[in-house]
Amino acid sequence: MIITETTQNGISVVTLNGTLDALSCPEFRANPAVGDPGQTVVLDLEKVDFIDSSGLGSIVGAARKKRQQECDLFLACMNDKVRKVFEITNAQKLFHIFDDTGAAVEFAAMQQEACK
Amino acid sequence: MKTLLCIREREYGWAQEAFPAIHPLLLPLCNKPFVEFLIDFAILTGSTAIRLLCDGPLAEVERYCEDGRRWGIDLSFGSLQPDDSVPVLLGKNRRFCGDERIMVVSGFNFIRYDKRQEYARLIDGAPDGPFASCGDGGIILAGAPGTGTAAPDEAGISLIPLDSTASYYEASMETLESGAERYVLPGYGGEPGCAIGRNVVISKSVEIRKPVSIGDNVQLLGGTIIGPSAIIGSDVIIDKESSVSSSIVLDHTYLGENLEVSGRIASGNLLIEPQSGASIAMEDPHLLSGIRQDPVLAAFPRLLIHALVALLMIGLLLPPFLLLWPLLSLSGKWKPCPAEIIDGKGNGTIRLKTVSLPHHGALGTLAAALSLDRFLMLFRVLGGQLALIGSTPVSAEERGDSNATAMTAYRPGVFSYAEAEEWPGCGKSEDASIVERFHLAHSNPVTDIALFFKAYINRIQEKITA
Repeated sequence: MIITETTQNGISVVTLNGTLDALSCPEFRANPAVGDPGQTVVLDLEKVDFIDSSGLGSIVGAARKKRQQECDLFLACMNDKVRKVFEITNAQKLFHIFDDTGAAVEFAAMQQEACK
Repeated sequence: MKTLLCIREREYGWAQEAFPAIHPLLLPLCNKPFVEFLIDFAILTGSTAIRLLCDGPLAEVERYCEDGRRWGIDLSFGSLQPDDSVPVLLGKNRRFCGDERIMVVSGFNFIRYDKRQEYARLIDGAPDGPFASCGDGGIILAGAPGTGTAAPDEAGISLIPLDSTASYYEASMETLESGAERYVLPGYGGEPGCAIGRNVVISKSVEIRKPVSIGDNVQLLGGTIIGPSAIIGSDVIIDKESSVSSSIVLDHTYLGENLEVSGRIASGNLLIEPQSGASIAMEDPHLLSGIRQDPVLAAFPRLLIHALVALLMIGLLLPPFLLLWPLLSLSGKWKPCPAEIIDGKGNGTIRLKTVSLPHHGALGTLAAALSLDRFLMLFRVLGGQLALIGSTPVSAEERGDSNATAMTAYRPGVFSYAEAEEWPGCGKSEDASIVERFHLAHSNPVTDIALFFKAYINRIQEKITA
């Protein structure tokens, strides 16, 4: 799993490349932006080729922690494989999902502004 | 031009309750799934790509529609939040929308259109904003108009909200009356008002009174009278001397002999009065019944493997149970608390003898660590009422709770998949149901057993360290 982190409009964009499963979850959780509950993050999932229940759990867990601090985790650019996992499990209901990272960043910045 | 079709669960909740075996977007109107009418309309308006957005499950719809190649368009799927506004939806689908003009069709509404009209020109020239509205939904255009001529009045588009069995019945009947002149409808017919699908067996003495629409794989036995205004779905048998008029017989339904169905909707063994929505479930399979594969048969390998492992566990846990149960009962630590849970079919309940076992003291901790509080539940696995591992049982009291009843996959188990995973530890049942749905969709009998032992070991660790 390759994790890249950039910042746009004060929002961290974390791009995942590879498989998000039980093996790579600790690495994902250890990412500073993902692990920091006070940081709003846009997660770019375009290059995630597989996600299992542990990966899903890491994303849900990170989002829950962030929401406790009035921050959030937004999902962007899901490919069909990942989207189907979110849909089957009904996890899609927990997230705002965008097909474009830029739009997700704009929305996240707006939400963050509204919270202040 | 591109189209976003936005449909929310709250808009079609009534259809899920009335016709639980059919995904509301695939609910047939005159033998054509509802979603196909929306797709047809989008194509008539000149759309080259359609994205279907819903806050509920779309897997069944996706399996049916695939990628839209069948219609010569690009069809994709996405999700939305129930309260997303049109600007938010456009933002969430920015890559799909690109710089093109977008038509947003929202709501569970039937669009009255006429395939002979030139909607591409009309929609292209119409100004930005609402084009047609109906309740909370409607048709909204976004993006600068093109060079087409805008004349919404001549478009002849109106929307019927599908919000009850009554409106569904009316829309179906109206579509049948309008026929293939106005809509693209399935079936072949030598004359207007009569469409017949493939593999339809019609006995010599059958009388057909127009308008009728008959699906695929239908048997109409001797002496039946079909019509006027009858919609017969696919995989239907109408037995001898029965008559169907002003009614809809949905797919996979058997209608018995000498039955007169008028002004009703028949679905499986349900007979629904459209106006009030009142339904009668027929108990007599010779009168009315569903024609579907028995789900128990398909699940047999899983049931067998779960039962064998449950038997093994009963054998292993019987000695400690016989030893600890009397001791804990005498010391008042073994507290039976009967529970009623929703069964795997979602319409019945199972009474369970669960046990509250405070794990303080060496004996209590040992019994809890060995999961002896669930020992009696293992016998339910032998009977197929519970799975060895599955969903967390939902109490019958929560039947009205949308989270519990709206479960697309629910198989109560002695142990739950959430217990097998360290997941995500927030203690929220909503989160636990996510992992349970994941495994219900992806697991097989062998992985189930591995996950069962994982859950069992996790529980030992949990109880010892608690």
